[in-house]
Amino acid sequence: MRTPRESFDVAVVGGGSAGLAAAVTAAREGARVVLIDRHGSAGGMGTASLVHSFCGLYLLSDGPEAVLANPGFATEMAERMIAATGLGPVRMGRVDVLPQHPVEFARIADELISAESRLDARLHTEVVSVAPGDDWEIRTSGRGGSHSIIARALVDASGDAVVAEMLGMETERVDSPHLQRPAYVFGVRRNGELGEAERLETAGLILEGIRAGSVPAEAMGLNFRSSGREGEAFGTLDLSGGGNYDPLDGACLTRLETAGRATAAKVVVWLAGNSGLWKGAYVSHWPTRAGVRESRRWVGEVVLTGDDLLKGKRFEDEIALATWPMEFRENARGPKLRFPEGNRAAGIPLRCLKPKGIERLFVAGRCISTDHGAQASIRVMGTCFATGEAAGRAAAGA
Amino acid sequence: MADLKKNDSPKPVELIDWLNDEGVLELDWDFPEDGNLIEAGLDSMAVMQLVVAVEDRFGVELGPSDLTRENLATPVTLAALIAARTS
Repeated sequence: MRTPRESFDVAVVGGGSAGLAAAVTAAREGARVVLIDRHGSAGGMGTASLVHSFCGLYLLSDGPEAVLANPGFATEMAERMIAATGLGPVRMGRVDVLPQHPVEFARIADELISAESRLDARLHTEVVSVAPGDDWEIRTSGRGGSHSIIARALVDASGDAVVAEMLGMETERVDSPHLQRPAYVFGVRRNGELGEAERLETAGLILEGIRAGSVPAEAMGLNFRSSGREGEAFGTLDLSGGGNYDPLDGACLTRLETAGRATAAKVVVWLAGNSGLWKGAYVSHWPTRAGVRESRRWVGEVVLTGDDLLKGKRFEDEIALATWPMEFRENARGPKLRFPEGNRAAGIPLRCLKPKGIERLFVAGRCISTDHGAQASIRVMGTCFATGEAAGRAAAGA
Repeated sequence: MADLKKNDSPKPVELIDWLNDEGVLELDWDFPEDGNLIEAGLDSMAVMQLVVAVEDRFGVELGPSDLTRENLATPVTLAALIAARTS
């Protein structure tokens, strides 16, 4: 059967924070662009997985002011989100983060995409194969059937290096137990303040529930934060994923989603029944998908390492700064942060976005070429905006 | 590393080493006994680790009403809380 074909200058696979930045940037550079995403909105982790902070936007510093690290798309997103939520950056320990709301992110993404006449989005669409040639041939699949897209340049912003897998290219990943554990974020409807005092008391209540056997031990570390909207909070839980956690395996992800819902539901019922702080609270929404932090990544012309980040290494061809500390969530003992010497930012070279030996193909987001340590920093959305922008610009010029 | 035994009442300075060793917080080597633990990152997530670690090491079960800003403010107040519950 003949399938419909469309032709573009640039195709972007994945519409998360990196893919959105890549597609919008490439269109602004004058390219005709298609952005392909499997969900009903762009935003990826920031919408489908309800991750409600932009990390990596700001430089590390001991000073009182949060200073944006990367101009361009990352700064634009920060400004748009602040205008939408009315909330500015928040200092948490040694880092500054920007609270973001998934509802606003999806709407901002729609506005950014709609504003570019040269940018077509294809939501509800999966890429099923990629073939090299004079141009890339990308086959997609949706409920209406299969389509073929031709593009001169390609950006893999899938988060999972799916294009590398389809091309049979070299990839890198670490396995459980070192692989980063996934986040499970859910929405809660509740009344009243949720400041530091309430959050500390809630931590104690959850531990009581675990001791009483009413709450699964997996709820250790579950943390609630106000969404910034009256009566709404988000709960965030790190899941173990089981002994053979594999974020690319559907059966494993099914167990993960099921465990996330079960644990979250039990915690909220326990809290509502045992504390005036949580009287009347209920889970108001589930994420579309659990928040995978790390999976497969590309091997590029340069592999950025954790050691580069600790030393604040800079590169002649750097396209963005990595400012988020390496944040390891490998076990049930909670996050472990490793900060660079002297709070220095490291450069991310363009060569980390260029797979070895392939022309007109660029990578953006959490699956760029790094080792496990550096990925623990560059995976965050604030940095993904910046690597996405650089990949989009490079693809438009290819 | 602080050599703490179960059911010992900890000294504030020993708690600073111990919090580092347990990975609850990353405190500078010269973190003061009256330094602000909340500002150093003792949030609701770290507090859960703390409570479990306190139970393991000191045999003390801290409950929700113990987890106030006042009790968790500094190594001095935290040591006093643990001592008060050790009996």
